[in-house]
Amino acid sequence: MIHMENLVKRYGSVVALDHLSLDIEEGEVFGLLGPNGSGKTTAIGCLLALLKYDKGTITVLGKEMRPDSYDLKKDIGVVMQNVAVFEQMSVLENIDYFCGLYVKDKTRRKELVEEAIRFTGLEDYRKARPKKLSGGLLRRLNIACGIVHKPRLIILDEPTVAVDPQSRNKILEGILELNRQGSTIIYTSHYMEEVEQICSRIAIIDHGRVLATGTTEELKNMIKTGETITIEAVAIEERLIAELCTLPHVFDVTYEEQVLKIRLSSAKHNLVRILNFLTERDISFGRVFSELPTLNDVFLEITGKELRD
Amino acid sequence: MTVFKGFLSITKRNLGMMLLYIIIFLTISIFAQKMLDPADASGFKAEQLDIAVIDRDGGALAKGLTDYLGLFHNLKDLPDDKSILQDRLFYRDIYYIVTIPEDFEEACLSGSEKLSVTKVPGSTTGYYVDQQINTFLNSVRTMTAGGFSVSDAVARAAEYASSPPDVTLIDKTGHGGSMAQHAFMFQYMPYIMLSILCYTLSFIMIAFGKPDVKKRTLCSCISARSMNLQLIAGHAVVGLGIFAICTVMPAILYGRSFLSDPHLPYYLLNSFIMMLVSLSIAFLISSFPINEEIINGIVNVITLGMAFTCGVFVSMDILGKGVRTIARFLPVYWYETTNSLIAGNRTFTDSQTAELWRGYGIQLLFMAAFFGIALVLRRNRAIAER
Repeated sequence: MIHMENLVKRYGSVVALDHLSLDIEEGEVFGLLGPNGSGKTTAIGCLLALLKYDKGTITVLGKEMRPDSYDLKKDIGVVMQNVAVFEQMSVLENIDYFCGLYVKDKTRRKELVEEAIRFTGLEDYRKARPKKLSGGLLRRLNIACGIVHKPRLIILDEPTVAVDPQSRNKILEGILELNRQGSTIIYTSHYMEEVEQICSRIAIIDHGRVLATGTTEELKNMIKTGETITIEAVAIEERLIAELCTLPHVFDVTYEEQVLKIRLSSAKHNLVRILNFLTERDISFGRVFSELPTLNDVFLEITGKELRD
Repeated sequence: MTVFKGFLSITKRNLGMMLLYIIIFLTISIFAQKMLDPADASGFKAEQLDIAVIDRDGGALAKGLTDYLGLFHNLKDLPDDKSILQDRLFYRDIYYIVTIPEDFEEACLSGSEKLSVTKVPGSTTGYYVDQQINTFLNSVRTMTAGGFSVSDAVARAAEYASSPPDVTLIDKTGHGGSMAQHAFMFQYMPYIMLSILCYTLSFIMIAFGKPDVKKRTLCSCISARSMNLQLIAGHAVVGLGIFAICTVMPAILYGRSFLSDPHLPYYLLNSFIMMLVSLSIAFLISSFPINEEIINGIVNVITLGMAFTCGVFVSMDILGKGVRTIARFLPVYWYETTNSLIAGNRTFTDSQTAELWRGYGIQLLFMAAFFGIALVLRRNRAIAER
């Protein structure tokens, strides 16, 4: 459905997109993950022909995407990172306005607006002005304005920022419902658990490049960490930590605030082996946790742990 | 026409503010017109002053002068006491004191008169009475030199004075010499047009130009051309609406005198061009990256600044030369100049007609310049955003 190839976008001497290539299939919920400044929003801006790019090609539904590709834009719905509505219009007027940019027929528009209001649960706020809405309701209005015309492709740029858990859950359920109704979704977020929860395929981008693409499982398999064992233990000596590092499949051991954290590659009986090691040396320990890698681990391992702007 | 409808929908939200400005406009116009409209502008009536004559001579000439002054002024009977007379003059109970000394008649006729007068220093009333006394005495002197007796000369001088010449004021404006009542409304119109249009349209355009809303709209399948045309149509409707309200108001208040004014087309053309100028200024304001919170301040600075420097609230005649020089670089100055020309003349000479069209032309040039600058600013912003 979407093909981006060798996309290069520069802002002066800064390379925002560095030969970025992506393919998104119809029916997917595609997650775009990356730290701040990694190029996610720039990539979306180029995809929507809002930004000029220096090199590369973008095709949507087999056609080149240009600023005047109105036939393609008709099938695209966008939910911006910041709430993009008119403060002076009511909820109903806002949704109707954005629907009117795509749908000329008044009767059809009315149906679509009502459907979007129901879908986002804004029935009780039709006449309310955005200023009167809570953060969660405002986000739902933003989504309603983006999806009201029932597009084939919906791009959601961090739609759950500053939203309470209930509203977030409602939004995520809605996105999955839209996907079930046939829309292809591109979803960018900083919240790994959200991406893990709803995305069928994920691309991790950083410094304007795609570092990894695949399903959650495929991404997890790409990284070294297969399991993380956390043990509450008192007074572990440096010598013991060094010995732990020599055990099979162990590649990282940290000990902070009486918590021993051991990262291991995938293997059978990792936990048993570690516990035996501690028992043999008469090390008393408290609670023990074993966790499989999360998308967060994948993200941090791929993009690095240093802080971003 | 979604964008157009959205434009009007946001305009509706500003109706309260518009109404407020219209009420202010009406109040100022009617109040100023009542204050400045002189009731006696259509005729002439000589000024009558309270004066005192102290006659120490008692001769025929002195009595004749007293009677003569009595024809024009109210003579107050006051004692010959210097301090009392000065007090009365100080408190403006009287405006002029003539003291006729002893042997005045003889001295006057010999050309060495000793008439003493006390008046408010530098006052026009003082010069006025001076002139009347001189006229009387010169007439008497001329007639006595010609062989008339003093009493005959005094009687004839009084006779001439009692039959004053007819004074007819030229009705230059076609409204009894004063400005037509509706001309005041047109004088204040730039303030209302600039205030309403700049505030409302900047407010709307900033809403449409917000980066996120703009991006969101650019993602839709509406073409930039269609969107711009719809926004222009919105501007036109709001602009014409305000122009219509501003035109209907004097028609309702002054009815026939307004509608039958032969200069009506000139007034309307002038205010229509002012409406276009106001639209261009509103367009220019909204081309800057500003937010709603500071629009009010900016609009007030622009509208009140232009109103005070260009003769909207204060007549240009009493503005300093420096202010008028600066005002020439503002469109409202040319509107007011043109309005004064229309209001102050019943017919136009060739040079006045040329001046009239020059006023219209300069306003249109200002409009084109403001639109041009706004377009360049918008283009630069659009390029920077991409």
